[in-house]
Amino acid sequence: MGTENPGRPTFPSRPASSPFGAAQPVTPFSSTGPVAGSEPPPYRPTPPAPPQAATPFSSAGPAAARPGAPGFRPAPPGRFSDPSIPPPPRASNAPPPGGPYQQFPAAPFPPTTQQQQRAPMMGQASQAPPFPASLPAQPQMPFVPMGSPPSQSAAPAHLGPNAPPPTFQPTFPGYPSKQAGAEMQAPPMHSNFPANQGNYGPAPPAAASPFLSHQGGYVPSPPMAPPVGMQQPGSVPPMGSVQGLAEDFNALTMQTRPGTMDPLFDPKELPRPLEGDVESKNLADMYPMNCSPRYVRLTTSAVPSSQSLASRWHLPLGAVVCPLAEPPGGEEVPIVNFAPASVVRCRRCRTYVNPYMTFTEAGRKFRCNVCTLLNDVPSEYYAQLDATGKRVDINQRPELTKGTVEFVAPAEYMVRPPMPPVYFFLIDVSISAVRSGMIEVVANTIKSCLDELPGFPRTQIGFATFDSTIHFYNMKSSLTQPQMLVVSDLDDIFIPLPDDLLVNLSESRSVVETFLDSLSTMFQDNVNLESAFGPALKSAFMVMSQLGGKLLIFQNSLPSLGVGRLKLRGDDSRVYGTDKEHGLRLPEDPFYKQMAAEFSKYQISTNVYAFSDKYTDIASLGTLAKYTAGQVYYYPAFQSAIHGEKLRHELRRDLTRETAWEAVMRIRCAKGVRFTTYHGNFMLRSTDLLALPAVDCDKAFAMQLSLEETLLTTQTMYFQVALLYTASCGERRIRVHTMAVPVVTELADIYRLADTGAIVSLLSRLAIEKTLSQKLEDARTAVQLRIVKGLREYRNLYAVQHRLANRMIYPESLKFLMLYGLALCRSTALRGGYGDVPLDERCAAGHIIMTVTIKRLLKLLYPSLIRLDEYLLKASVPADDLKSVERRLPLTGESLDSRGLYIYDDGFRCIIWFGRVISPDIAKNLLGADFAAELSKTTLGEQDNEMSRRLMRVLEKLRNTDRAYYQLSHLVRQGEQPKEGFLLLANLVEDQMGGNSGYAEWMLQISRQVQQS
Amino acid sequence: MGLDLIFWLVICFPLNVAFLASAFYQVLILSDLESDFVNPYDASSRINYFILPEFIGQGLFCALCLFTGHWIMFLLTVPVTCYHVMLYMKRQHLIDVTEVFRVLNAEKKFRIAKLAYYLTIIIITVFRLVLMGVYYLDSEDE
Repeated sequence: MGTENPGRPTFPSRPASSPFGAAQPVTPFSSTGPVAGSEPPPYRPTPPAPPQAATPFSSAGPAAARPGAPGFRPAPPGRFSDPSIPPPPRASNAPPPGGPYQQFPAAPFPPTTQQQQRAPMMGQASQAPPFPASLPAQPQMPFVPMGSPPSQSAAPAHLGPNAPPPTFQPTFPGYPSKQAGAEMQAPPMHSNFPANQGNYGPAPPAAASPFLSHQGGYVPSPPMAPPVGMQQPGSVPPMGSVQGLAEDFNALTMQTRPGTMDPLFDPKELPRPLEGDVESKNLADMYPMNCSPRYVRLTTSAVPSSQSLASRWHLPLGAVVCPLAEPPGGEEVPIVNFAPASVVRCRRCRTYVNPYMTFTEAGRKFRCNVCTLLNDVPSEYYAQLDATGKRVDINQRPELTKGTVEFVAPAEYMVRPPMPPVYFFLIDVSISAVRSGMIEVVANTIKSCLDELPGFPRTQIGFATFDSTIHFYNMKSSLTQPQMLVVSDLDDIFIPLPDDLLVNLSESRSVVETFLDSLSTMFQDNVNLESAFGPALKSAFMVMSQLGGKLLIFQNSLPSLGVGRLKLRGDDSRVYGTDKEHGLRLPEDPFYKQMAAEFSKYQISTNVYAFSDKYTDIASLGTLAKYTAGQVYYYPAFQSAIHGEKLRHELRRDLTRETAWEAVMRIRCAKGVRFTTYHGNFMLRSTDLLALPAVDCDKAFAMQLSLEETLLTTQTMYFQVALLYTASCGERRIRVHTMAVPVVTELADIYRLADTGAIVSLLSRLAIEKTLSQKLEDARTAVQLRIVKGLREYRNLYAVQHRLANRMIYPESLKFLMLYGLALCRSTALRGGYGDVPLDERCAAGHIIMTVTIKRLLKLLYPSLIRLDEYLLKASVPADDLKSVERRLPLTGESLDSRGLYIYDDGFRCIIWFGRVISPDIAKNLLGADFAAELSKTTLGEQDNEMSRRLMRVLEKLRNTDRAYYQLSHLVRQGEQPKEGFLLLANLVEDQMGGNSGYAEWMLQISRQVQQS
Repeated sequence: MGLDLIFWLVICFPLNVAFLASAFYQVLILSDLESDFVNPYDASSRINYFILPEFIGQGLFCALCLFTGHWIMFLLTVPVTCYHVMLYMKRQHLIDVTEVFRVLNAEKKFRIAKLAYYLTIIIITVFRLVLMGVYYLDSEDE
């Protein structure tokens, strides 16, 4: 719920609605209650929200309509009589024509019963109140019954609610039957969305439902909030007259707070993504056979129909693909084997068979949805068509009903026999590595993972260690003890043994275990300071080049010997702000790029674990991961006692997660559109082929597309991502994700269907790439400029009809974009200058941003801040009930109460903040006897009391939401400088800090720039 | 006269034909790469093989123009030489296999421009040779 703040904003606006609001709001979340009736709504409908989103479509005619209206207001019915009042669009789609009317009357009753269930709805509804006026939107309903022809749909976008609602319905029914004819459906789609959007002002309630998912508890309020100055206009017009006008108006979320003279944004009204990332459901309704958004997300789920239109969309146009994302809720991706036939594909454009292909001529031919070529159906794949033109076997063919399938690839998709999973470990054993305790943690973790390495019994494993010399280990299965072979000639590297350095794990298991047991003691007394990293890398390459596989590098000091040695750099503050600044973030020695290219060529993927407390040149080392689809893990000043747990979890995850080997990925789309640039960790093997020596569920890739033809004539654009890889079991497979999106002709539609998460992901990757060729400052400016341009264009869409002075308008779909833009500029990778972030940390953060999935990125940019003390103290709340700790607070200092205990979680670490006057037993219970000691030396362990167990439970839950990284907890006390500053305060992105602007100020800057056009 | 002939015929003409051929070959490889007939590893190693010799040859040619007093030729060649030196100093003269697709278009344009430039030089050379031949024949007749 976290929304005390949000709640307040609504307050002012409330007055109008409050009378009604009071009744229902109370019900949902009584727990927090202090606030008056009006407040409750803010309370967060959120948690429930998601389900809600689903409901509208579910059939629930009644469901959709009811809650909103009834809940909060009796008034509506009265209004209703006025024919002109449109029902909320959302209502329209769900219920049958008749529905609305009935429902309204009914509304009054249900409140009690239904409300409870529908708490979510209610909440939203309550927000709606400000709009009583909004009701107007509803009149639409009347039209609906008529079932407007789809044809109308095209225009509607503009029209706003009026037109759309009608179309809405038609589409709906259409779905089931029409799947094949995606084109047909497309148009309708557009129309209905507008409807939703339109609701902003008046319809918010309605709007809310479709978008619920986005809205979070938070959002809704902002729209309302403006009540003071601006809102009036907003609400009034709708009542008055032209509906079209009203709609447009509503479509904008505007916020301004004329304070005295200067326009100011009230920080409480600003939208905040307290729900985290919410995947857009727009397309799921339009094209139910699309792959899930967790695999592919477009920055806007619509393709502009012409180049001129595309050029008016100033935000990135592209996709973010996470080909191996973990399927939702334990679903499995269906595996299809066409043997003995080959994989069914279009013969011209090579598109794989997918649900949007249509079968004709009694099933003997199929038409490719991408290039419209008529192909013959292979005789093995033939099936008759039934009366409706569908294949009779469609239910046994997941590739014809699902957007995501896996094909078993026959021999023609292999250049060599599928490789076994190979893990090679290259471990630094110089003195600093020994001292940090890294070696021991690594050895123990590897040993504990041996049973879980994928691909048993084919898995191969090998080790090498290095300091000023390189040590190989012969682990032949016939030996009882590993044999160490030392190579000290760094200029002319050779491998002492042709085989047996890389051995089959199941055969040599006991030797490997003996080796891992002895590894940490073997180098205990090593006093060697040097690191022959480059030569060691070369020798690892020689060992692995036969098979490829995964190379894990554990590096604890700056490479100092042989090829690839690096200098200390980055400690010169004078370089910052000059044209040479970006050089610090580039690899210093071309050796690393060359090695990376070679690695990629021989199917070797490199993961770099860096541990040093001094400068290790992550910029250079990270290059190895960058071009080989690897990952960089950075543990500055690693100490096994403190960071051991994090390393253990992350290494374990790295070793045991499902991995796709020797993969290549390509994204295809229909003619007229082309993917031009790709961003992420991979190497391009041809213009559009991404080489990924090893890829897993935690990696995402972004790409931008451009229009090649001035005008697209099709109604629907198809994208197909194909990942050809070797599964750990040794089977060659092709994972195919198919997605259809509408081609639109109106800019407003593009904005409406925009996906903030994907945009932010692409924007941040572009910004990181920019830091490699320009100054940090330039990268930040570019982000801001992009956002400003996008909003300015949007503003221009409406500037003609509406008085927009002093108001900032932005589409509902992009309401968090500004905040994420700010958070990006203040992220570790882009923040400040020399003194703000050590160079290595900055580079490591950049590497992380280039690989992570959207969800993780958004969490990193806008972490969650949760108040814990209530949950810990209230014995009455069952320990399993973690709902109360799901309420995220705005990331501002005002959220922190010095009597409280807070946890800040950005997905990579947790910071537990103890207020200054927190009750002593909390500290005592959580930290044990040494609670008064300095917190930096204390680690958080489970104590034998309920409170501590509860805290552990919370941490565990946070860690389980996404296991890609492990959140190590840091403890900090209020006022403990400077630790509090850099751990927490610098990350409260909404507060002004140093040279960084706070949220309100940032919005002001943006809105000023938007208005000077 | 004799020196001049040697300059134009023995040095200038073959050198520039070689430059032209090298530039043409590089453009060819780049367009092959674009249409996926060659992999980026081969493409960049083949192109990189020619880059340094071309830079050195071009630099020598420029110096030779200066020392033999062919001012116009010198002025024509010196900007390109400077550009080459700059690329070399910035270590951007070689094609980077990891980023080749990102710079493909720019590199191709750069090489096409060079192609045109070498062609111009060759035309001038041929023109001068012809001029010299005509002049020589004229003086023979007399």
